[in-house]
Amino acid sequence: MKNNRRTFLKSLGGAVTMSALASEIGYFGSISALAQKGSVKRPAGTPADYRALVLVYLGGGNDGNNMIVPIHDDQSVSNYAAYSAARSPQGLAIPQASFLPVSVPRIGGLLYGLHPNFGPVTGGVNNGICELWAQGRLAAVTNIGTLVAPMTRAQWQSGSVPRPFQLFSHTDQTAQHYTCRSDSVSLTGWGGRVADKMTSSSNPGALVPFVSSFGGNLLFTIGDSTQPLSLSPAPTPLANVLSLTGYNNTPISNARFAALQAALGFDAGQELIAASSGIHNQALAISQALNASPEVTAAFPNTEIGNQLKQAARMIKTRSILNVTRQVFYCRIDGFDTHTGQLLGQAGLFSQLSQAMRAFYEEMVVQGISDKVTQFTMSDFNRTFNPGGSGTNVGSDHAWANHSFVVGGAVAGGNFYGMNTSNGTPFPTLLQNGPDDADSGSNARGRWIPTTSVEQYAATLAKWFGLSTNDLQYVFPNIGNFAVNDLGFMLP
Amino acid sequence: MHKFAFLIFAAVLFVLPMHVLGEDDPDPNSPSPLLFGWESVETRARRIREPSVDPARPYARLRLGDLGDADPKAFGVFLFQKSGRTFQLPIENFAPNQKTGIEMTVRIADSTGYYGEPAFDGESLIYVTWRGTMSNVLKIRLGKSGGSIEIPAGLRPAATSPAPEVVGYRWSGDRIRFLEQAAFGPTAQLDNRLRRIGIRTWLAEQFEAPYPTIPYPDIPMMPTTPPSTCMQTTAPACYRERYSMQPLQQWLFKEAYYGDAQLRHRVAWALSQILVTSGVSIRQSSHMIAYHKLLADKAFGNYRDILYNVTLNPTMGDYLDMVRSTKLNPNENYGREILQLFSIGLFMLNQDGTIRRDSSNDPIPTYDQTTVNNFSKVFTGWTFCNTTVCPNATPGIQNFKDPMLLVPDNHDLGVKTLLDYPGATVQIPECADCATPEATSNYAYASLNAAIDNIFNHPNVGPYVGRLMIQQLVTSDPSPAYVERVAGVFNNNGQNVRGDMRAVIRAILLDPEARGDVKTAPRYGKLREPVQLMTNLGRNFPARSWDGESLTDGGLSDPMKKLGQNPFNSPTVFNYYPPDFIVPGTSLNAPEFALLNTSLATNRTNFLYVLIFDGYTPNATDSLRGTSLDLTEAIGAAAADPTGNRLVELLNFRMLHGTMSAEHRSSLLTAILAVPETSPTLRAKQAVYLVAASSQFQIQR
Repeated sequence: MKNNRRTFLKSLGGAVTMSALASEIGYFGSISALAQKGSVKRPAGTPADYRALVLVYLGGGNDGNNMIVPIHDDQSVSNYAAYSAARSPQGLAIPQASFLPVSVPRIGGLLYGLHPNFGPVTGGVNNGICELWAQGRLAAVTNIGTLVAPMTRAQWQSGSVPRPFQLFSHTDQTAQHYTCRSDSVSLTGWGGRVADKMTSSSNPGALVPFVSSFGGNLLFTIGDSTQPLSLSPAPTPLANVLSLTGYNNTPISNARFAALQAALGFDAGQELIAASSGIHNQALAISQALNASPEVTAAFPNTEIGNQLKQAARMIKTRSILNVTRQVFYCRIDGFDTHTGQLLGQAGLFSQLSQAMRAFYEEMVVQGISDKVTQFTMSDFNRTFNPGGSGTNVGSDHAWANHSFVVGGAVAGGNFYGMNTSNGTPFPTLLQNGPDDADSGSNARGRWIPTTSVEQYAATLAKWFGLSTNDLQYVFPNIGNFAVNDLGFMLP
Repeated sequence: MHKFAFLIFAAVLFVLPMHVLGEDDPDPNSPSPLLFGWESVETRARRIREPSVDPARPYARLRLGDLGDADPKAFGVFLFQKSGRTFQLPIENFAPNQKTGIEMTVRIADSTGYYGEPAFDGESLIYVTWRGTMSNVLKIRLGKSGGSIEIPAGLRPAATSPAPEVVGYRWSGDRIRFLEQAAFGPTAQLDNRLRRIGIRTWLAEQFEAPYPTIPYPDIPMMPTTPPSTCMQTTAPACYRERYSMQPLQQWLFKEAYYGDAQLRHRVAWALSQILVTSGVSIRQSSHMIAYHKLLADKAFGNYRDILYNVTLNPTMGDYLDMVRSTKLNPNENYGREILQLFSIGLFMLNQDGTIRRDSSNDPIPTYDQTTVNNFSKVFTGWTFCNTTVCPNATPGIQNFKDPMLLVPDNHDLGVKTLLDYPGATVQIPECADCATPEATSNYAYASLNAAIDNIFNHPNVGPYVGRLMIQQLVTSDPSPAYVERVAGVFNNNGQNVRGDMRAVIRAILLDPEARGDVKTAPRYGKLREPVQLMTNLGRNFPARSWDGESLTDGGLSDPMKKLGQNPFNSPTVFNYYPPDFIVPGTSLNAPEFALLNTSLATNRTNFLYVLIFDGYTPNATDSLRGTSLDLTEAIGAAAADPTGNRLVELLNFRMLHGTMSAEHRSSLLTAILAVPETSPTLRAKQAVYLVAASSQFQIQR
C-alpha cells in the first residue's frame, strides 16, 4: 500500500525529495481516497446511515512535543538528535529506544515515535492505540492550531496577518478550539452548530439531543438553536443518568410525580417559566427514552475518560431506540497543564487516554460500526519545546501548534496529515528561533506557528460526518480563509 | 414623521431624585398597562374584529392608558405566535398624552436581529410590558389567511392577588422579592422587621452593618507546592482546608444563612461573579479569601476603587497573569479582561445599555488589539510582594495578601495610547526621567492611575456595570429605561460623584422595575442560580445541621458541583454563566440558564429531594455536620389545617410571592392530600419539595 502511494506520487512527476514526497497534493480529497481505497473492510450488517464523532479533549494543553517525536537520523528534516539536543539537558527527553516506532509514508517512510504509553502498559486492559497505526486506523494531524488565516513566520513577526486573540491563554485557546472562531468571541461551538444544521435532517424524530456531553454545557456543544444532552459517565447505568430521586411507585410518590409533572405545564405564557419547564420536560422525556441499560462487550479501563467513553458506547448501542443517525460526543481528560512534573504526569495521562480510546474502538468493532464512529483529540495548545525547570520538576509552558490523533475505521490511518511547514513536511522544524518558532531571539522557546488551522481539521471531520457543503460556512465562518477544507485523513 | 417623534421622546432623560432617609418607600402598588381594544371599547359580549396588518406595511398602532411615564424605553411590546415564538417588536413612534393615553406604533419585526421574523400567518397575540407588569392581551391578524389562536394559560395580566383574609401579608410579595434581591432570601424575622421599618431604613442600616457576622476562615498562606505534610493523597483533610476553596464555600453559605450584613454579602458575591477569579487556578483558600475580602470591603465604595485595587490584587494578578507580565514579555490577559469584562465590554453602549451601531448598522467596537497591547504595557512590572516592605511577606511563600509590588526594571517606559472618547486623557507619555527606581516607580503608579481613570471615565462603564448588577440582583433582561436610570446614578450620584456604589445599589433596588407587588411580565425575573436556590430555601426554612441539633457548617461542595456552580471555582473568567446567554430556541437573555440542561435540571430536582426529604448527611470529605432545612413552620401549617390550604398559602406567599395560579394550587393540594393527615411532616416535605422544584419558584420574579 505504501509503495503504491509512493509510486503513484512519483508518477505525478515529483522528484524524490522529502518535500515532494510530503507534497500536500496527494493527501487531500480524491487522490487520498484513491490511494487508500480497498484497504478498509466495512463490517457486514451495519446500519446504512449512522455516524458519530467523538471529541476527546485533553484539558490543560498537551505537550505534543513528547507525544510524537522523530526517531530517525535523517539530516534533511528534524531528527531525534534535534529533539534530544533541546530536551535532554533538563531531562525532558525520552530515550530514543523507548518510543514506539511508526513509519510515516508522507515523509518518505521515515520513522517517528509515539510516546511509549500508547503501547501495552502495566495493568492495562488492551494493547493501546499504537497498534492501530499499522492497521491504518490511527492517523496523526500535525502542527494544527488556532489561526484566523494562514500565517508565515515573517507575517507573524510583522503582524500583517490577524492573530488569534489571547494566544497561550487556556480559556481563550480552549474556547477557540470549541468555537472554531479565532477572530472573535462566539457564543456557539462548532459541535452545536453542526447540530443546528443536521438535527432536522438526520435526527428528525430523535429522543435525545444531537450532542451528548460529559463536560456539561460547554461552548463546543452549544448551537444557536440546540443544546446538548448532559450525561454523567459510567459506572452510573445509562438508565439512571437522568432519573429522579425519590419515586418508588407508592401512592404518595406517584401523587408527587403527578404534581411535579403537571406544574411543568402551568404558566406556559410566562416565558422564563416556560423555558425552565421546557428543559425539565426534555429531561423527563429523555429519561423515559433512556430506560435501557445496554452493556458493552469490550473491557474499558475504570478511569474518568474510560467511563465517559464507556457511557458513550452504551448510548451508541441504543441508537435505534433513541432514533438517531448522527451523534456528537464530548469527552474530556484533564491534567495536561504540565508546568512541572511532566514526565510522570503526562505518561500516566497517556496510558489512560490510550487505554480508553482503544477500548472504545474495540467496542465499536464489536458493535460492527467501527467505520461509522471516529474519535479525535484536541487540546488547548502545545507546550514549549524548550523545557521549564529540570530534573523531576521538569515541565514545559504554554505554546501553540500541536498534534492530534484521529482513530476509527474510516480514518485513512498510518500517516501524518496537515499542511506542510516551511521544511516541506507537515512536521515542524524542531528548532528554537527556527523557521516555525513564533518566538525569536536567543530566548526563543519553541512555540510552533500552526500551518493547519483547527477549522481545517474540524471541517474534514464534519464533511465525513455528512455536513453539507452549503452549511460549511455557517459552522466554520472563517473556513474561506484557508485554501483547503478537507485534509484527506477521512475516507469518504 | 414617526421616527422624528420617537427621537424626541428618546431624548427625554429620566432623572431620579436624590434618595434621602425619611423618604417613603416605593409604592408597592403595581399598575398594569391597559391596552385599549382596536375599535372603540372592548366588551366581553362582542368579539372584537382584529385589524389586519398587511405584510407590505408591517406596522400596528396601539393605544395604552396613560401611566405617567413618557419614556418609550420603559415599554416592551411583544408578539406571541402560533409557533410558540415570542418576538419583541421595535417601537417606531411613541406619543404620550395625559388625556387620550399613550399612542404608539410598532413595526411587526424582530427587534433583536437574530431571531428570524414573525410569520404573517393569521392571528397572533400582542401585549405590552412596563416595569415588570404586562397589559391585557389583544389579538392581531397578520396577513389575510390563517386560523385562530388561543391565549395560553399564564399569559394573563391579572395576577393572583394576596388573599385579603390573610392579615399582615399586604405587599408581602414585594418584600419577599426584595429580600431575594438584596439578601440571600427572606427569613420570617427579617420579613417582619422590614414590614416595620421599611426598605429605605433597612438599606441605610445595611450600608453600615459590620461584616462579616461569621468570621472569615483564618487560613495561612502555604507554599505553592503542597508540603509532604499536606498532600492530597496522604493528608486529604489538610489539603482540602489549605489548597481548595472549601473553607471559603462553607463560610459563604454560613454567612448567607446566618449573617446580618446580608446586603454586603449579596453584593460582594455578585461582584465576585463580575470580577471573576477562580479556584480552578488559584489553588489556595487563603488567596481567595484575601480577594473576597477586597470585594466585600469595597462593595459600598467607589467602582474606581474596586478597579484599582482588583488590578493590584495578587490573586487577580496570578489568575490573569499580570503578576508575570514584564516590559520584555508583556502579557495581554489582564489588559484585555479589565476592558472586556470588568468595565466597558466589547461594544460602545448607549446610556440605556443598548449597543451603538454605525451607519451600516454594525456594532461599534470599544477597542482593538492595539488598545489591549497599550494597556498591557501599563500593567507591566508588578509582581508578588515577597519583600519585607509588605506586612504579610513570608520567606519561601508567595504573598497573596498584600497588593502586588512594582519591580521598576520590569515596567514599560514607552508611550501608551489608551481609550479615546470625549474628555479622555488618551496618552501616557514615555518616561523622560526614569533614571532611578524611585522615578520609575512614580511614573509607573502615575501611569497605572491614569489608565484606571481612563477606563473608569469611559461612558460605557455606567450602563455596562449597571446592567450586570441589575442582572445579578433583580432581572435578567432589564428594560433600557431601567438601565438608563441606574447608569445615570452611576454617572452622577446627585453630588457630582461618579461610581458611587451605594447610590447605584440603592437605585437598582428601589427602582420601580424592581419594586411593585406582583410582577406579571413574561420575561421578568431570573433563574435562581444554584447558590441562590440553596440560600433562599435555607433562610425561608432555616438551614440546620443534618440532625437539626446545631447550625450547619455550610459544607455543600459536592452537591453544588453537580448543580454547575461550585462556589469560587468558576470554570473561566467568564463566570459560571455568561451575562449575554440566550436560551436556545428563544430570544430570551437569561444568563443563569447556561446552568440548566437536562443533566443539571435533573440534578436540581434531585438536590431538592435530598435536601428537603432526607437532608445532606455529614461526611468526612464535604461537611462534618451536614445540612437540612427546619420545616417547623410548614409542618405547623400542615398540622393546623387538614385541608392543606394553609400550607399551600404559606408557600405561595413565602416562595412564589403570592402568584400561584389556581391550577397550580389545586394540583399541589391533590399531592398534599395523598399524604395521610396524620403525617403533617411528610405533607410539609411533599409540598415544599413540589413548590421548590417548580419552575414557578426556580424563576425568581
